[in-house]
Amino acid sequence: MKLSWRLTWMVLVFVVMFAVLFTRLWFVQIAAGETYDRQAGNQNVRIDPTLAPRGNIIDRDGIPLATSSLEPWIVVDRKQIPLEDEERVIQQLSGLLELAAVEVSAAFENAGSGSRFLLAAVDAGIEFYVLEHQDDLPGVGIEEVPVRRYPQSDVMAHVLGHIGRPSPGDLEENPKLDPNSTVGKSGVERSFDAFLQGTAGFLANQVNAVGKVLKPLGGEPARAGATLQLTTDIDTQKVLEDALAEGVRLANRVKVATGSYTNFAERSAGLVIDVTDGSILAMGSYPDFDPEVFVSGLTQREFDELLERKVFSNLAIQALYPPASTFKAITYTTALEERLFPEGAVSANDLIECSARLNAPFTDASQLVWRNWTWPNADGYQDLHTAFERSCNIYFWQIALRIWNDFKGTEREDVIQDWARAVGMGERTGIDLPYEAQGIVPDRDLFDLWAKEQPWRVRDEGWLGGDLMQTAVGQGAVLSTPLQLATAYATLVNGGTFWQPRVVQRVFDADGQLVEEYQPVAVRNVGITPAATQSLLADMRRVTTAGTAATAFSDMGADAFRVGGKTGTAQMGQECEGVGEARICKDRDNTAWFAGVAPIDSPRYVVVVVVEEGGSGGRVAAPVARHIMQYLLGLEPTDIVDPRVEGD
Amino acid sequence: MAIIARSTPAAVADRRRPGPDIILFVAMVALSAVGVLMVYSASRTRLETLGLDPTGEMVDQAIFAAVGLVLFFVASFIDYREWRNVAPFVYIATLLALGAVFLFEPGAARAQRWIPIGSYQLQPAEFAKMAMILVLASVLVPAKEEGMSWRRLVQTIVIVALPAVLIYLEPDLGTMLVFAFITLVMLFIGGTTLRQLTVLMTAAGAGALAIWRLGLLRDYQIERLQSVFNPSAADPLGAAYNLIQSEIAIGSGGFFGKGLFLGTQTNLDFVPAQTTDFIFTAVGEQLGFVGGALVLLAYAIVIWRLLVIAGNARDRYGVLLVAGIAAMFAFHVYINIGMTVGIAPVTGLPLPFMSAGGSTYVTMAISLGIANSVWLRRSPVPGETYIV
Repeated sequence: MKLSWRLTWMVLVFVVMFAVLFTRLWFVQIAAGETYDRQAGNQNVRIDPTLAPRGNIIDRDGIPLATSSLEPWIVVDRKQIPLEDEERVIQQLSGLLELAAVEVSAAFENAGSGSRFLLAAVDAGIEFYVLEHQDDLPGVGIEEVPVRRYPQSDVMAHVLGHIGRPSPGDLEENPKLDPNSTVGKSGVERSFDAFLQGTAGFLANQVNAVGKVLKPLGGEPARAGATLQLTTDIDTQKVLEDALAEGVRLANRVKVATGSYTNFAERSAGLVIDVTDGSILAMGSYPDFDPEVFVSGLTQREFDELLERKVFSNLAIQALYPPASTFKAITYTTALEERLFPEGAVSANDLIECSARLNAPFTDASQLVWRNWTWPNADGYQDLHTAFERSCNIYFWQIALRIWNDFKGTEREDVIQDWARAVGMGERTGIDLPYEAQGIVPDRDLFDLWAKEQPWRVRDEGWLGGDLMQTAVGQGAVLSTPLQLATAYATLVNGGTFWQPRVVQRVFDADGQLVEEYQPVAVRNVGITPAATQSLLADMRRVTTAGTAATAFSDMGADAFRVGGKTGTAQMGQECEGVGEARICKDRDNTAWFAGVAPIDSPRYVVVVVVEEGGSGGRVAAPVARHIMQYLLGLEPTDIVDPRVEGD
Repeated sequence: MAIIARSTPAAVADRRRPGPDIILFVAMVALSAVGVLMVYSASRTRLETLGLDPTGEMVDQAIFAAVGLVLFFVASFIDYREWRNVAPFVYIATLLALGAVFLFEPGAARAQRWIPIGSYQLQPAEFAKMAMILVLASVLVPAKEEGMSWRRLVQTIVIVALPAVLIYLEPDLGTMLVFAFITLVMLFIGGTTLRQLTVLMTAAGAGALAIWRLGLLRDYQIERLQSVFNPSAADPLGAAYNLIQSEIAIGSGGFFGKGLFLGTQTNLDFVPAQTTDFIFTAVGEQLGFVGGALVLLAYAIVIWRLLVIAGNARDRYGVLLVAGIAAMFAFHVYINIGMTVGIAPVTGLPLPFMSAGGSTYVTMAISLGIANSVWLRRSPVPGETYIV
């Protein structure tokens, strides 16, 4: 029996060994089995998202403005590139795509290790090369990817906007977003991104350990995004954009001919709005860009250059200028509706002297030299109608003085501003485009607020009479976007209905079914008496036929009576950069405005044109607006020239 | 002691010529059959992708099994006591074969473990395990049944050390560990005192520490050993990859498994060496806990039979032989399956009768054949042993 205890111990050791194995097997397969099962599934099924084509964008007549087409792109799957080969693959791709290796490398870096990402669009030659050299280029493939195309090139670029890869913020906001997909960055591409996106699909494949696809496990096709039908009209848009560009050239020709200027004009903006429902027929901003540059990608230098020229800003909704004399239409309507006329006048037809200058009405901090634009000449005796036609500052200042003297410190001292706000100034119109600027309609409350929060913007004395005088002629602190001015004019001439401006009217799904129809939204009715409206329209006609814009509209002959409008020549404050000692300020030339209505007998369209630092509204902006209104009336648009400039 | 048969008066009366160990044989054949099937399931996809015959590796393994079974019978017919006479020659032949591997080009991982014979790669270290059991048993037979002399103990260690050094140079950590375990078990059965064992274990521990500290292990060996204790901290694509992948494969099998040929991990090449060292992952994934437990049971039966044979051996030489074989077998099973479920280091020990590979299969078949030979030649009186 001496041996048996040793064998017994051996048995015990073996029993323990097997018990341990058995227990561990139980743990791995039963207790923790699900975890392992999930890990296994993660490993052997690869899910590749298929990008959805972005929805189309069409103009009001269905003409395509933005489309999607399937085009070959290089797709890189970093998981399938052996680490030691990565440098070589990057070098090869760099040569193939004629891109700097650092750029390719940066793309790898940005996408992250183990990621799968789209590198670049390729032509058939490169596509063929990549497919032929799969062994040399592990993890590099070709995929048909929906690509944004803009068949009209740069036309309507600012309304359409542009697209780009989702920013880190976009991805955080919407975790379901594929980093390889595209999102709208501006324009309707951005504001209607949710519709345009579509739904990404996926392809599930069973793969082996090295990522080779063994068999497809099915998937779901991507669903294209919805189609947007805009209110804009491509033909009107082209006329507008050409006219805006020509307006900048005209401004500079005038500058050179007159010799009085500080800067050349570089930018302009304009739009055509339907006063009966707020639809934007055309909206342009110059200079513009081709949204497609964002599709194939552009270098940092190209991008910076475009940024420097501010081409991406839609000036029609983002730029703020003092509306200047175009604001007189609001003061004019206020005077008629509230029966507030200059001292010595009790009706619109009473004459007061439009003197060369106004003699110091105030001795306080708001004291200025109050010169009419005809200074050193006086402009005779004028009633409200003539004052509008001749844009007599004296008359409109007198209205402000009347209000100030009678109602200073009461609610009624803001009566002009109340009317301005009622027709849409000083607050965002709510147009369906991103980045709209707000504008400013100043009053005592605003100055008090600024004194508290932004004291550098106002003097210590607060709101004074001179500020109200400035406001009455659209200067001082008043700021407006071209769109705000257009909606204000639309409201003034359509009888007082403020229509929310819009560029999108319908949304169709990928099958062409109507998904959404945006009815015009009447935000409020201001209630302007028909007499006041008719009076304003008649006086706007006098502007184009006899007044400040008569020369610009002389080309139209008798047709000039079918339109109306108001010029504006805005004095721009200095443009300053920096702070303290390093603060550099430079003077800016006047900005030229024109707000027009066509046809004047039964208003349908308001046209607003602004040429930044363009000079005189009547000389520069009015011919541009005239050109557009000729087109709107079905007339042959005549050249945008100034007969007073030699050679024009 | 319920497992090991003892004599009863009725049994003593039954004096028949003893038959072969049928249970042992059946367990071995069953394991081999499952092994061939698993090799097929784990290799066919890869072979197919390579454009080769998907049954190629399975057919090889089946041939090895057939050869192994024949050698089992041959070994059964040879009287095990004959081995004692040729032990010195077996020892010298083993040393020569282990030395011969260094004459050939290194194989995987710069290791030199193989002697190419035709299209096959003979692995002498596998045969050396059985050879060392034969040699050690011969050395230990004359020892006192209780209380071995220190002189004999040292002699035994020296005899083991020579081939162990050669195997260390190959290098083959797994086989070294098998040698150590077999030696330990056979010394214990051979009659070492507890004190001697303690000294021996202490010396072995100190030696292991010295090897570790002196950097005598290859980096990959250290990494593999470390990855057992903390697989997630180790590089998931490096040393711990094998471990993680095999655990995932087995774990994802669940209770009933994914079904034959439906194992995504093993069939899709995620598990490395899945027809050889990691063949058990194919069992675990495809046949689940049920299949894995049944395979474990089959191994337990084999070891149970070996222990029964050891307990019934006619002489001390037989006891030592079969105890050594049982130790080799149990250690292989424990380390291999333990490795696939993450409780033993990746040391490259094959799973007997299942891992693809001829040398191992033949070695294991011969060793069971020798055990069967001991069984066939036990005392005609059941339970009657000559040593006790």
